[in-house]
Amino acid sequence: MARTLAQINAVTSMNLRSMPQRLWTSLSTVVAVALVTGVLLAFLAMSNGFRTTVRGTGSPDVAIFMRKGGGGELNSIITREQVLLIEEAKGIATAADGKPLMSAEMYAVVDGIKRSSGTKANLPLRGVGPNAVGVRRGIRIAAGRMFRTGTPELVVGRAVSKQFKGFELGRTVRLASQNWTVVGEFDAGGSVFESEIWADIALLQGLYQRGSTVQTVRARMENTNALKGLIDYSEADPRLKLDVRAESDFYATQSRGISDLILYMGWPLAIAMSFGALAGALNTMYASVDARMREIATMRAIGFGGLPAFVGTMTESLLLSAVGGVIGALATFVLFDGISAATLGSNFTQVVFSLKLTPELVLQGVILALVIGFAGGVFPAWRAARVPLLAAFRDQ
Amino acid sequence: MTFLQLIRKNLFRKKLRTFLTTVAIFIAFAIFGVLATFQNALNAGADTASADRLIVTNKINFTLSMPIAYVGRVATVPGVKIVSHANWFGGYYQEPKNFLVALAVDPQTYLDLYPEYVLPKAQRDAFLADRGSIIVGKGLAEQFKWKLGDRIPIKSNIFRQRNGSDTWDFTVAGIMTPGGAGVDVTFVAFHYDYFKETRSFGGDTIGWMILKTESAKENERIARAIDTMFANSPFETETKTEQAFNKAFTEQLGDLGFIVTSIVGSAFATILLIVGNTMMLTVRERTNEIAVLKTIGFTSQRIFRLVIGESLLLAMIGGLLGLGAAFALSLALANMFAGRIGVLAFSPGTALIGVGLMLALGFLTGLLPAVRAMRLDVVTALGRK
Amino acid sequence: MSEALIVLKSVGKRYTRGKQKVQIFDHLDMAIPKQDFVAVMGPSGSGKTTLLNLLGGIDRPSEGQIQFDGKRMDNLGESRLAAFRASNVGFIFQFYNLMPMLSAAQNVELPLLLTSLGPKARRERVKTALAIVSLSDRARHKPSELSGGQQQRVAIARAIVSDPKLLLCDEPTGDLDRETAGEILGMLQTLNRDLGKTIVMVTHDPEAARFAKRILHLDKGHFSEKDLSA
Repeated sequence: MARTLAQINAVTSMNLRSMPQRLWTSLSTVVAVALVTGVLLAFLAMSNGFRTTVRGTGSPDVAIFMRKGGGGELNSIITREQVLLIEEAKGIATAADGKPLMSAEMYAVVDGIKRSSGTKANLPLRGVGPNAVGVRRGIRIAAGRMFRTGTPELVVGRAVSKQFKGFELGRTVRLASQNWTVVGEFDAGGSVFESEIWADIALLQGLYQRGSTVQTVRARMENTNALKGLIDYSEADPRLKLDVRAESDFYATQSRGISDLILYMGWPLAIAMSFGALAGALNTMYASVDARMREIATMRAIGFGGLPAFVGTMTESLLLSAVGGVIGALATFVLFDGISAATLGSNFTQVVFSLKLTPELVLQGVILALVIGFAGGVFPAWRAARVPLLAAFRDQ
Repeated sequence: MTFLQLIRKNLFRKKLRTFLTTVAIFIAFAIFGVLATFQNALNAGADTASADRLIVTNKINFTLSMPIAYVGRVATVPGVKIVSHANWFGGYYQEPKNFLVALAVDPQTYLDLYPEYVLPKAQRDAFLADRGSIIVGKGLAEQFKWKLGDRIPIKSNIFRQRNGSDTWDFTVAGIMTPGGAGVDVTFVAFHYDYFKETRSFGGDTIGWMILKTESAKENERIARAIDTMFANSPFETETKTEQAFNKAFTEQLGDLGFIVTSIVGSAFATILLIVGNTMMLTVRERTNEIAVLKTIGFTSQRIFRLVIGESLLLAMIGGLLGLGAAFALSLALANMFAGRIGVLAFSPGTALIGVGLMLALGFLTGLLPAVRAMRLDVVTALGRK
Repeated sequence: MSEALIVLKSVGKRYTRGKQKVQIFDHLDMAIPKQDFVAVMGPSGSGKTTLLNLLGGIDRPSEGQIQFDGKRMDNLGESRLAAFRASNVGFIFQFYNLMPMLSAAQNVELPLLLTSLGPKARRERVKTALAIVSLSDRARHKPSELSGGQQQRVAIARAIVSDPKLLLCDEPTGDLDRETAGEILGMLQTLNRDLGKTIVMVTHDPEAARFAKRILHLDKGHFSEKDLSA
């Protein structure tokens, strides 16, 4: 046993020391594996970033009321009468003024110009009242101030001012046939709300001729258990019959479709590319075995076993792919981690998110790299282990 | 034996190596073909859009509506041939996951405007005559097993009937087939008048207008005339060519072009390395043979062509197989994605770009080894000093 | 003796090997008559191979002139030299140097790819060449399926298929046993005698050299001659 280990050690180190002679071939495998890992990780980071942003939106103790069957905020309609009925429900927390802590909100879509491409994209314009910040957690005016009720002022999420043109503090923008002044920028902990524009609801209802209807009502519950009561309350009243869900749950459902779609694109692509890289790795390793044929045969002739030759080749392959995987992961981290992207979310509006690489994702990338290394090493290693002794005596 | 045969013999000398390299090339080209097909499908709206059709939407955002009275006013603008209008229904069949592009349209003008949605005369007449009827795309009819004369319930996630129901029942009057490559008929359309009368809100509004102009040259003037006409009204408009509108819509999804280019770029960077390396290895192994060929009178240029020819042949074999697979795959995927992202069809343009890429790959990977082979000094290579 | 096929006039050849300058030939004069069969012998480093390289147009002299059939060839460009080799010279190497992926017939056909002959004419030529070396029955075999002697015969067929005037042989029997070597050398003799090929053969085997008409001894870049034809 110890002798075998010593042999493996000797052959493997000989193997690795001869790698510089095959510098370019070895490098091509490293780079090919790095590219595959990079593509996979870019997709995983995209999917994860989108999911993190959308999932991170909403609290479990906020109930969101929408019309049934609408699916999103945009298609929902709630009348003034229904809003008043919701105010009567039990289980809603009380605001400082003694009234229920809830926010009836209007939701519309306006055009923004993306900085990256200069093209138009749908931005959510949310009409809110005084309780909008209070109902949610973690909304903070990061610059400027909140808009004043009844004035054409608006505040924008951080992602909006970062990704779209013309929303800098103090600028005037024309939205919904009205000139607005951007007076504040808010931070919402990286959630979807940061991709939104907020303005006074009464003003918007007028502009959009919506009367007193709203799209959604958010209510802070006394605790998460109150949700059941609110659902029952809504079902019991034929005038309501609204869809009531925890806000966190609502966003979690929304995140799934698109982040899954990104995953379903990323994995097959990465796997297909892996086969390409695998072909390269196999060529490299076969070339490596061919180049060392005489050397291996000589070792065999003087009494070394087949196993050390196998392990030596395997180690070389795994090492090359591991290096490739790590380089791919590092490159993805440097190039893509934290960069912003935006796509059409399920509400038909843009969701700005950051690509996010996590250790688990990096691990998946490196595992893929090692699988390539293993598959690319095992057959050539098998050949190495079975090199005929005669090869030692052949010329060239 | 010919020169080409010699190249072929060379290429298939190390069968395993050539096979593996071909696999790598095959995969890169398959990825290219499939992604290009997807990208084409997403852009198809822009490509197949007629140049003389304009779309008029609410200026604030295309999800907002405008009064139906606009249709009559747009018709008076000189140069406008036909005006039609449509309304987004937010439709689905049975369950929300069976999402349908469902439009409430003005039937006569709509069909006049879109001759690429082909309906047999009898079906067209039946549709125009029955205001409670619907026309459906062929793919959808197959998917949901709808036949002419069927009553089908279509649900809306936006609208309600006056009786509170979210379901409208329609009679299938016609099944549309695409009138050309890239034409997407995975949608359903029914009478706006009927929809307007039965819906509980929305009043006399429509989603957008489509119009045909006398000539594409007039487009800009007409668009300006329409938008000026409604400026400063509560419903300002924005008029664009259908192409521009469709393109803007696709761009909302994100910078797909960048993503596709990056993936295809990395796939090709990978094979460039792998194939280039293999060719280099091959030439190095054949040093002696190349020297012999030169000795018996092969000129350097001929040796260069021999090596470049081999890398080109390799790229062509792998590339054509890859494009073939992409073609087959896009046929298979076309059904899976029917109605979601336009028509998935492998285009001749993609094939052409693919062949261009093969040539580029062949030249790039063969160049260095070929130059090396060409410069090879016979005296040194044969050790004849 | 008939007129000269190759004439070397005051040929000099120098190499730089590393930092060392090596003078192989200095003012070498030589004439090889048409239909001659010369064996060149000499210790290693004496310039035997360099001489073959110069005669075959693989290498160019540092000074002096080389004439082939009355025309200067030392000043030809690279591609003209290649064309010269293709039509005038056949090479036979010690290790045969056949293309492993081609059959015997295809190996023989290789030089014909450089000619304007049509497929049919080429096939005829290949057939004839293989018949001359008595290998017609091995036409479809790969080199790996042939013995050393057979491989060398294929190489000879390849060398004569385009009907060159000059055959250059570099230790053609160096890798063969005595008996097979005899066959190969006999074949060269026949080519010289019956087909009128001029042959220059480098060898260090006196037995092999005896098949030639005359033997040149090369030592330190200079010849001494022994005529065997008399």
